[in-house]
Amino acid sequence: MSSTLSTASASPSRIRTARTAAAAVERARLALVPSRQVNAPRAPFAVLVLVVLAAGVVGLLMFNTHMQQSSFYATRLQQRADSLEARREALDLKLDQLRDPQHLAAAGHKLGMVVPANPAMVNLATGKILGLAVPATSADSMRINPDKAARPSLIDPKPLVHKVIATVPGTTPGTATATTTGTTTGTSTGKTTAKTGTAGKASAGKTAGNSGQTKVSHGTASTGAGTRADRKGAGTASQGASR
Amino acid sequence: MTQPHRPAARNRARSGQRTLRGSSESRLRVGMIAIAIVLSFFGARLFQLQGLDPKAYAAKADAEGLVSVPLPATRGTITDRNGVPLAQTVSGMMIIADPHVTRPHAEPIARILANKLGLDYFDVLATLRKSNGPKATSDLQFAYVARRVPSGIATAAVDAVDKAGYLGVTTANDPLRDYPGHDIAANLLGFMGSDGNPLSGLELSFNNLLAGKDGKETYEVGDGNRIPLGENTEVKPVNGKSLKLTIDRDVQWYAQRVLRTAVQGAGGQSGAAVAIDTKTGEILALADYPTFDANNASASPEADRGSRALSNVYEPGSVEKVLTTSSLIDAGKVTPRTKIKVPHQLPVLDAVIHDYFQHNFIRLTLAGVIAKSSNIGTVLATRAFSHQQLWSYLDKFGLGHKTDIGITGETKGLLPPVASWSELTQATIAFGQGVSVNALQMAAAVNTVANGGEYISPSLIQGKATTADGSVVGTDETTRHRVVSPAAASAESRMMEMVVTQGAGTAPGAAIPGYRVAGKTGTAQEVGATCGCYDGSLAVSFAGFAPADAPRFTVYVVIQHPKSSAASGGGTAGPVVRKILSYLLQKYAVPPTDTPPARLPVLW
Repeated sequence: MSSTLSTASASPSRIRTARTAAAAVERARLALVPSRQVNAPRAPFAVLVLVVLAAGVVGLLMFNTHMQQSSFYATRLQQRADSLEARREALDLKLDQLRDPQHLAAAGHKLGMVVPANPAMVNLATGKILGLAVPATSADSMRINPDKAARPSLIDPKPLVHKVIATVPGTTPGTATATTTGTTTGTSTGKTTAKTGTAGKASAGKTAGNSGQTKVSHGTASTGAGTRADRKGAGTASQGASR
Repeated sequence: MTQPHRPAARNRARSGQRTLRGSSESRLRVGMIAIAIVLSFFGARLFQLQGLDPKAYAAKADAEGLVSVPLPATRGTITDRNGVPLAQTVSGMMIIADPHVTRPHAEPIARILANKLGLDYFDVLATLRKSNGPKATSDLQFAYVARRVPSGIATAAVDAVDKAGYLGVTTANDPLRDYPGHDIAANLLGFMGSDGNPLSGLELSFNNLLAGKDGKETYEVGDGNRIPLGENTEVKPVNGKSLKLTIDRDVQWYAQRVLRTAVQGAGGQSGAAVAIDTKTGEILALADYPTFDANNASASPEADRGSRALSNVYEPGSVEKVLTTSSLIDAGKVTPRTKIKVPHQLPVLDAVIHDYFQHNFIRLTLAGVIAKSSNIGTVLATRAFSHQQLWSYLDKFGLGHKTDIGITGETKGLLPPVASWSELTQATIAFGQGVSVNALQMAAAVNTVANGGEYISPSLIQGKATTADGSVVGTDETTRHRVVSPAAASAESRMMEMVVTQGAGTAPGAAIPGYRVAGKTGTAQEVGATCGCYDGSLAVSFAGFAPADAPRFTVYVVIQHPKSSAASGGGTAGPVVRKILSYLLQKYAVPPTDTPPARLPVLW
């Protein structure tokens, strides 16, 4: 009755009623499932998690350690490679020196060879000599070794010569004259008497490093070489005194 | 479906734990406040780090074990035409100190390093103590003790420091420039300053090509080893490209030694020798004297370190007659057999022209004028030319134009503009006074005659390369243009053969038995540096090519200001040309042409 009424008056309400009914039927079908008691032991899982965790930590540690170890190893190998490379370079340089035309010419010169005065060649096909083969004479020889390069005056100053009269007991002053020669370096630190000059030289000779440095002062050239030389001289003096 | 369950669950939780944790709302509130407090700390710290003074903190972080090492680019090699290195970069090392570590033991370490490396003790000491702030707080960890040290020496020095038990001194790669030939082609190659910058020659003009670009590596270190997964940035160095020259190292060496022997023998001030491949214009040797050791450039005076063959201009003297007479033959004005009456002197305007040798009135052919090197004969022959004609021929021979082989500092010489010429100017220019050249220009001009009348621009670089000033030079850029006809060049060549003919010419000492050699002597008066006039100093020169009928090589030698009074183009420079030509003919296996030598009448 009501259904016909609702059908006649309003269709939406009829549909809602139908749905509610369907939901009720559906709900009626559902039943509460009894909760199943799971009695699985928890310990293995905890252990498993711990083991995975521990393995991870240990693995990470080992990985890190291994990386560090590799780094040390790489550093060592790199050093070895560097030293081998340096050796190869040194050998290459030596080879270059041996191949240098200057070296070859000097070696040939030692054997008494000279550059041929006149070009002549043999045609291997016919055995004929082309050009005039003239024996070389000593006039064909030439200077091979380079002459000493002229040094700039800045680093090769003229030696300062101080002539002093040595006063030796027993002899009359003025008979014996001693001469000290040296570069500006030596004379600026040393005193003008012959005795202290030689003493300074001896101390410089003892300290090997400083004697090396005084040599270098001639080879290196740069602006301000004079001041550098002076400082070296001062170094020699101070170190000599400290010993 | 689930909605009905939810309220039930909430109720259950509430009923079970209310006593322990209080209400959920208060818990939430407390939690939020705690989180907000913590986050506000973070925020404040973030603002402090990023907003207030980010740079200082970044720098502080960098200083914490972060090391930055330059990765030097390897400079390109300069090789000769056969690939033999003339300038190369070998593995040098830089010695680095960590002043943070070395400061307490600076003195003993400095002593070891100064001894082993030949450095100044006090300089090393200062480096080992270097700081970037007040001494107590300084954290400078990087300072150069020495750069570009040969690796063997560097390693030995650092090993000695290690052995003595001191830390903080290490090495790193730092390429080192080496010139295996010392003075071979040094004037062309130039050299590197102690700061690693090129100072002259090819090193300077092709620096862009050779230098490459340095890289940089920054990484974290711990205890001297780099931390594997630490911060690491690397900018790889770009190595320089190599440069191949047309120079033959052996020929260059030989030319330098022969030239030196001759210059010293004549008591000369300087000298230059140029050897050119006739057909290609490639420079096989360009020797200068005095020269220097490129490995130790500072030991030589600065004036000796450039190339005088290019920078020094002088009046070429009689060698120039080759250009004048071949032009005259090309223009059809004369032939080698043209008869010329040569008086003992020739007044031109207000001057009087003499020959270098005393003679009365003589009858010379044009070949005789060349063979005997008569100034008067040349002037008389050149009267057939207008000023403009002679000027344009000489201009085409390359006089007054730079050769542009890629070396900075070349002077272009001087061919006076034709408008300024007088009759006297033309007369003196005809025999090589009043015009100035450099040695390479003169060699290229004579090479034109050797090459059948076609000028080839000389080149020093194989292929092509761009100089610092942007010009492209090299064998690929060779230009050629015709100056005189092949017939005129051949006639000139036959006249030049008479120069080295015994009895006829001025330079029998330049003849190579078995070969046909063409040559021309030059003994020019030089303008003194002080007075601006001819002060009696000379430039003696000789240009030659062989074989005369099929030229392969052109060699030009000039010796400046010989002291010896016997010095002459034929006697002093001629033998040098002969030796260099002989060496070239032998080295490149050029057989004699087996044709009868030129026999031209000298007198009539």
